[in-house]
Amino acid sequence: MSEHEITFENVSKFYGDVLGVNRVNLSIPPGITSLVGPNGSGKTTLMNLMTGLLRPTEGRIRVLGVAPDQPERLFQFTGYCMQFDSFPRGMTGYQFIYSYLRLHGKPHEEVESLTWSAIERVKLTDAAHRKIAGYSKGMRQRIKLAQAIAHAPRVLVLDEPLNGLDPLVRAETIALFRSLAEEGLHVIISSHILHEVDAISDQVVLLSSGYVVAEGQIHGVRTEVEEHPMQILIRCTRPSALASRIFELDTVVEARLHNDGKGLLVRTRDPDRFYLMLNRLVVDGVDLESVAPADDDVLSVYEYLIGPDGGSI
Amino acid sequence: MAVYKRSYHGYAGPLTPEWSRFAIIPRYAYQRLFKSKVMTVFFVICLVSPLVFLSLIYVANSFGSIAKMFGATGVRSPITIDGEFFQIFLGVQSFLAFILTCFVGPGLVSTDLSNRALTLYLSRPFSRAEYVLGKMSVLLILLSSITWVPGLVLFSVQSALAGTGWLLHNLWIAWAIFSGAWIWILVIALLALALSAWVKWRIAAGALLLGLFFVAAAFGHALNAVLDVRWGGLINLSILFNAVWNDLFRTQQKAEISASSAWIMLALICAACLWLLNKKLRAIEVVR
Repeated sequence: MSEHEITFENVSKFYGDVLGVNRVNLSIPPGITSLVGPNGSGKTTLMNLMTGLLRPTEGRIRVLGVAPDQPERLFQFTGYCMQFDSFPRGMTGYQFIYSYLRLHGKPHEEVESLTWSAIERVKLTDAAHRKIAGYSKGMRQRIKLAQAIAHAPRVLVLDEPLNGLDPLVRAETIALFRSLAEEGLHVIISSHILHEVDAISDQVVLLSSGYVVAEGQIHGVRTEVEEHPMQILIRCTRPSALASRIFELDTVVEARLHNDGKGLLVRTRDPDRFYLMLNRLVVDGVDLESVAPADDDVLSVYEYLIGPDGGSI
Repeated sequence: MAVYKRSYHGYAGPLTPEWSRFAIIPRYAYQRLFKSKVMTVFFVICLVSPLVFLSLIYVANSFGSIAKMFGATGVRSPITIDGEFFQIFLGVQSFLAFILTCFVGPGLVSTDLSNRALTLYLSRPFSRAEYVLGKMSVLLILLSSITWVPGLVLFSVQSALAGTGWLLHNLWIAWAIFSGAWIWILVIALLALALSAWVKWRIAAGALLLGLFFVAAAFGHALNAVLDVRWGGLINLSILFNAVWNDLFRTQQKAEISASSAWIMLALICAACLWLLNKKLRAIEVVR
């Protein structure tokens, strides 16, 4: 059992007859891990299980070696930002962070300093003494995030943290997640916005109907999806000339000209061999500009494994 | 694979003891409660009757001297300071405590549940038991300050005025004040929290608490009258407490039900409240 990872061992959660998650085996290292899946796939259940807010029907969970049913130990190093807004009436942003931080047992001076540090980190210093009821959706999302990071946790569990943020704040928040991950934190995020998941995640966990469909670094997951040959986009001059040579490779199953006429889309079952052989195939007068995977992202993997209609994407 | 700097260093200083964390809840609750002028005025009114009873104790102990001032001699005080005197005091204060509970109790848990704020508490180093203890202590401390605390102050004053002989002979009254008040406080605090958790709506919870006392009492009387029985008193909280207090204060008042059945019924009510709290106070509400 690792004291540096979050582990799920054969974990199932049933709500009566309704399946939450089933036989989940996971090991989450430090860095940003995104839980991806359609509505009802079990993302929030998985987060609630790892924070001990729900107890598993079966199986064992350890968060950095600590069982989630010990809140006194677990939440000293874990921060949780839930999906829903829940703010006690009449509280200011500062009071919201400060009062809940006191439950950690730290002295007033430390709590005050941590509160301001969290508020500054989410850039809400000017609004700290305003009532949360008057905050915009984005500000509420940020103050929720501040309460999750305020006690300097080592594990951060964030349920849909990017919802309601405008593009600028979204970019700043993603940068914050990245900096937290670089400090060695486990940042676990659930999100519906796949291109952002792709941009920020060190690894992804794909969920569907309560089952883990795939997990790991997205490139590794993509390589495992053998029934869908890898798509590679070759940007070059004279793509039709290259296309005529490309079928000499037995690993290529499809080649077609890109819509803009300035490239070639190739499907291959063995991308590594394809890259090795490509130089030999390049004919005179064809200049290669770039060669890059075209479906080596979360969106493509999601579509291949879960299907394009799998939720509100 | 990213290479992480592992630069995180958390707080390593001393923490307050875990057992004392629940006290944060009443501290904030009182700050909020006493912002209300109505609440503050009512709390002060609750402390008026102890002053009245204090005056009565003084009069009872100094009756001879007072009578002598008016030229009367050999007159005995019409006020007797005994178990019944303190039971009347506890009865008055308990009624005020009940009104105070109807103000304060229903909003303690229902607002957290309706705002989904329970997750905020329970995603801290804080357990459900500590949450219930914290919320209950808001009522326990507040109601103690107007029931057994002034009761024991009155008892001490009486002991000081009447002498050690009286104190030694009536020490059991101090226990009766303390335990009689605690039973009352515990039952109505649990009822207030359980109803608050059950209906999740402050106004409805307050109405239900009042209803439980008055409607259940009327129903109990109706049962007794229609069926010609006495056990209707078992659903009448006033009768239950009177039976228990009569037992504790050794008064000879006629009770509809026996003290033992009243004790059992109160224990059952407490158990039902705890069961309801355990069922309703969950970090995540699972809707099936």
